[in-house]
Amino acid sequence: MSKSFTRALELTGQYAGLIAFTIFTTFPFIWATSVAISADPGNIWLFPGAFLPTDPSLVWFKRVITDIPFKDYLLNSTIISFWTIFFTVVISVMAGYPLARLRFPGRGLIFIGIIATMMLPSEVAIIPNFVTLKHIGDFFEATIGYKLIGLNTFPGVFLPGVAGAFGIFLMKQAFEQIPQDLIDAARVDGAKELQILWRVMVPVSAPSIAALAIFTLVNAWNEFIWSGIVLTSRDKYPLAVGMFNDLTGPFAVSTSMVMAGIVLSVLPVLIFFALTQRYFISGLDGAVK
Amino acid sequence: MASVKLKNIKKNYTKDVQVIKGVNLDIQDGEFVVFVGPSGCGKSTMLRMIAGLEDITEGELMIGDKVANDIHASKRGIAMVFQSYALYPHMTVAENMGFALKLSGTPKAEIDGRVKRAAEILQITHLLDRKPKALSGGQRQRVAIGRAIVREPKVFLFDEPLSNLDASLRLNMRVELSKLHQDLKTTMIYVTHDQVEAMTLADRIVVFNAGIIQQVGSPLELYENPSNLFVAGFLGSPKMNLLDASVVASDNRSATVRLPKGIAVRAGVDAARAKANDRVTLGIRPEHIQLAADADANAIPARVDLIEHLGDHVLAYIEIPGINEIISVKLPGNSTTLKYGDAIKVVFPEADCMLFDAEGLAFKRVR
Repeated sequence: MSKSFTRALELTGQYAGLIAFTIFTTFPFIWATSVAISADPGNIWLFPGAFLPTDPSLVWFKRVITDIPFKDYLLNSTIISFWTIFFTVVISVMAGYPLARLRFPGRGLIFIGIIATMMLPSEVAIIPNFVTLKHIGDFFEATIGYKLIGLNTFPGVFLPGVAGAFGIFLMKQAFEQIPQDLIDAARVDGAKELQILWRVMVPVSAPSIAALAIFTLVNAWNEFIWSGIVLTSRDKYPLAVGMFNDLTGPFAVSTSMVMAGIVLSVLPVLIFFALTQRYFISGLDGAVK
Repeated sequence: MASVKLKNIKKNYTKDVQVIKGVNLDIQDGEFVVFVGPSGCGKSTMLRMIAGLEDITEGELMIGDKVANDIHASKRGIAMVFQSYALYPHMTVAENMGFALKLSGTPKAEIDGRVKRAAEILQITHLLDRKPKALSGGQRQRVAIGRAIVREPKVFLFDEPLSNLDASLRLNMRVELSKLHQDLKTTMIYVTHDQVEAMTLADRIVVFNAGIIQQVGSPLELYENPSNLFVAGFLGSPKMNLLDASVVASDNRSATVRLPKGIAVRAGVDAARAKANDRVTLGIRPEHIQLAADADANAIPARVDLIEHLGDHVLAYIEIPGINEIISVKLPGNSTTLKYGDAIKVVFPEADCMLFDAEGLAFKRVR
């Protein structure tokens, strides 16, 4: 066999594998998109007809936006996700730095404790968190007359999840990779511990922080069970809960509308990813050597 | 500018692991001192202790007339240049250089002025707006030095700053560092394992081994009068030839020693404390061994093992029957007639031979 033939065979194999994997992972989304832009829902249960839009149009998207309070849900999702990302990043950075860089007694034990929480399914926390939130809400209502945190509030949705083991672990690993010389240089330059953290460590760890932000966004955006339990008034629902509430169930209007809703709710995450993906390239270039 | 005094400095990492075992050293104001020694000898740890990046377990560090043991690194009036450059990758060159001043609250106009002046000294003005990743290795090292200059420190600390550069750039930067010291006249402490850097840059060299200072002195002093076997073997390239021998006769003007196979050599040292049959080490530098005429009765017969032509000089590796070590000889560049297997005769001039006792301490040379 000639060399170029072997090479061609190799490439074909690689591409075949990758294409198969791409189809496998994206076909639900392609199906949803195809159904959402088909004005005629006649083919949506047929293969391969469902994968090719029949009579393409945006009519279902318009229905989603006009028939349900889509914009309110979108706004709620954005608020919840923003604060989830903000607090998750701040807490993960503040916890990851001492675990990675400072020496203090019990450090290893604390880290093991944090990692151990990953072994528990998150559903375990639902009931304790619910009860705690109720009492916190009562406390706020009794003291300041306003339920700042509690059931049926946004902080009630995002606060229980922001101190997560995953984020702390990710930031600890990121900080451990920063060369000691860089920290020493900052120390000689007169930076205090917090200045080293915010002015050197955090900018240098931007790729890891971007990754953490994306993961957190996807989780917060798609989160369903907890927000469905905590939030009771419809005007506070995020997209996932609102969409499920309005578009599915025994009185569901149309599968096409559900699909259009799904496509619309995924779009913001995709846009966010497109905007932040450049931060994923290494931030350490040029620091040492 | 300030002097640096080390008084009985010790460093323990754990109770049993002591890496610096009592260092005493006075560094004068404006002096260029080089710490040199093999990897793991404690020289970098010593520098980091002066910088304030490592705690001092015991002893007293004085910078200027202040005890600096517990002063924060940034308040000691030092600036440090790291082997890895340690530039902040998210800042431009100008921001890198001005970072320390910005942290200390210096007005922006003054920061700009000082950064600009330092950049002019180092000829990196055109790079000020670039990020470190757009710079070459040599440019990065310049920025790292610039970052130190901008702070106008009392003491500069260099931790193997040239180790990551290629050979020709290293030479250039070495010359520039030397000039920089002449211009600034600031105290500089420089750590390296490269003895050429040590010999060329230093006012005084401090040779470290195993956490102890072996010898302190000017480069030539150390080269010509090493106080022990370690210093003798460490400085000089190729290394000094060190041969086992035993004393035949000795007085305060010279000593006669016998190499294996009965070859006798005289060394011009004060060996009054040596006794006959003492085990000693004879040391002679490669450039001091001379070729002798065949008729010379005192000359030692040898055989050429390998010849290296380096242009300006020739390195010959020779074997003397009965001696295990290969002996290196540095000859003028025109001695091109030697070749592998040649039988030759060599002379160890009395005035150039050094002698070390069984503990490795040198006998004083007689000049």
